[in-house]
Amino acid sequence: MRSEKRPGDKVRGRWLTLCLVLLTSYFSLLTALAAQAPAVAQERAAYLAWLSSAAVSPYAAVARAPIGSGIRLGPPGADIPLDSIPAQHVTERDGRVTLEGGGRARPLTRGRAVRLGGYTLVTSGPPGRATLSVFGRPAAKRPPAYYPYDSAFAFTVRLEPAAQPRKVLLLALDGTEVEATEAGTVAFAVEGKTARLLVRRIPGDEDESDLEVYFQDATNKKETYPAGRFLTLLPLPNGRYVLDFNRARNPFCAYSSVYPCPAPWRGNAVPSAVRAGEQYAKQSEK
Amino acid sequence: MRCKKAWIAGRRSQRLALGLPLLTSYFSFLTPPPPAGPWRAVLDLAGGSLPFALELEQAKGRWRGRLCNGDRCQSLSAVRVVRDSVVLEMADYAAMIEAVARGDSLVGAYRNVGNRGPRVIPFRAAPGRWPAKPGSARLLGRWDATFFQDGRSSPRVFELRNGPAGLEGTILSNSGDYGHFWGQAKADSFALAHFDGSFVYLLTGRLTGDTLRGVFHAGLRSQTAWKAVRSTGKAHLKPPTEVTRADTTRPFQFAFPDLEGRMVSGRDPRFRDKVVLVDVFGTWCPTCHDAAPTLVRLWRKYHSRGLEIVGLAFEVTGDSGIDGRQVRRYRDKFGIQFPLLLAGINDTELAAEALPQLEGFTAFPTTIFLGRDGRVRRIHAGFYGPATGEQHAQLVQQFERKIEELLREQ
Repeated sequence: MRSEKRPGDKVRGRWLTLCLVLLTSYFSLLTALAAQAPAVAQERAAYLAWLSSAAVSPYAAVARAPIGSGIRLGPPGADIPLDSIPAQHVTERDGRVTLEGGGRARPLTRGRAVRLGGYTLVTSGPPGRATLSVFGRPAAKRPPAYYPYDSAFAFTVRLEPAAQPRKVLLLALDGTEVEATEAGTVAFAVEGKTARLLVRRIPGDEDESDLEVYFQDATNKKETYPAGRFLTLLPLPNGRYVLDFNRARNPFCAYSSVYPCPAPWRGNAVPSAVRAGEQYAKQSEK
Repeated sequence: MRCKKAWIAGRRSQRLALGLPLLTSYFSFLTPPPPAGPWRAVLDLAGGSLPFALELEQAKGRWRGRLCNGDRCQSLSAVRVVRDSVVLEMADYAAMIEAVARGDSLVGAYRNVGNRGPRVIPFRAAPGRWPAKPGSARLLGRWDATFFQDGRSSPRVFELRNGPAGLEGTILSNSGDYGHFWGQAKADSFALAHFDGSFVYLLTGRLTGDTLRGVFHAGLRSQTAWKAVRSTGKAHLKPPTEVTRADTTRPFQFAFPDLEGRMVSGRDPRFRDKVVLVDVFGTWCPTCHDAAPTLVRLWRKYHSRGLEIVGLAFEVTGDSGIDGRQVRRYRDKFGIQFPLLLAGINDTELAAEALPQLEGFTAFPTTIFLGRDGRVRRIHAGFYGPATGEQHAQLVQQFERKIEELLREQ
């Protein structure tokens, strides 16, 4: 039998094409989100390796102090006593930090690790308010604990730009004071309700910056870190972002009391329990 | 302008013993061919693929390799090959690529230490060389660009040209340049990359009508939208002579050891009543290599009339043995007869500290013009190399005019 073209075919064909396009985009979205699970597993492995071995890992943090009018490092009785380190003095002048000791003066450039015997020193913070962090060997600590991956907590979102992208001084995940920029808000639906979170651009290493969300949710009381968790937006090629709560990370103050804790961003709360991402594994501290 | 390539020395101390936790291969029952030869490599950023090239070779049982952006290559710090896994150490051991063989390809990740966690970017490579894909004439030349981020805009300039390996270029900002970019062009689209083991930059764009539009990617996740129009010749960035200022109330002071370890100071008799060009440079800075032949020519042309030049090298390690060797090689390569001094390590902040009379020092190279009284008369940040054509010719003319003007003063 020969099929004949009827007037309705054209309309049906269009519907079919539209359905196909919609289905394809739906599935490609699903694939994009599904691809996140193994990526998240890899990121967690890399993060654990970094925590256990990096010279600047919070597991290796020994002390942290504002430089103020100067800090003495070294023998017992110093502001920060360090094993087998002769007396050293750290000062900040005109925004520049210098380490002096043993007839030698070394500049401490912000964000850059400098070795001192078995220790690593890093300075951070704005001029006039520099902070010194001292790291030793990474201590054996409990590895971070996570909820199992749950794709229900991964969203693709649109960043609605801030009306006024003003700058704000705040503490980043590592307790460092940074000048962040209001980048906008993201909205998504949890348990049938729309939640909206503030996004800020936080400057990072090597000219890079991240769009970050510091949020609280109903799990903070018992299961996750009380002050909240950080989450970085991942850009997609189409201009949208992946907001995957499975990537939520604790601020470093959750690992060591050496770090100051970033204050929660006012009102940045998900009104339900986000059982995804990092949990709070209490560390027993000496 | 500023070669943002530095920052490496300090990262040495963050050297990691990451181990090879992820390199257990599923393919160990196969014996893949050793990874010698050229590779077309890619870092998969969130918004696009960053192309670069790797060249690996085995000589006398030892592996070594190079990382290339087009025809600009640098040696890898170390290459380790164990069965089907490859570890490439780079950026003075501060970063690495770990990969395993999958069929005839390499798959793995680039890793670098960050202060808030590891910087990890997926990596893959296929055997062979990138084909040279030159850009169409419509893409080439100088573009006045504007970067947009969080409602703010800032100016940049793109210089796009065709080189032996295809489309290449650079990005200039008020505070410096982003190094040499190389990449691939297709019709009116392009992707240009700069990856040196430390900095991860990708510039993607497309020409629509008279306007270029695209995204500048830094690292895995940072993206900045931009738009550019063909340069009219009017200054889009701050002029290079207005970037850095100096204290001119007293003669410009410097005192650093030369390559033989003797202190050389601005007060030495050799500089007295002379016009002096102080060249702040580094052997690691490609733009400085572009500037060196011009300085050598100027020295030959004007030395007998009273011009002195002195180079202040800010090097990678801070170790005078290693840095001295690098600077001697640089001196011999360009036949430099004026003194080169070891002034410190290659960090704009530290260099600024070593030269406290300067304000707003950001660029390698920076040329400081001193009059016969030893005071600063002009500071030129950056240098347009011969590849910039007309810009280079103009710059040389400006340098000569200023030198002649200063020589005439008594």
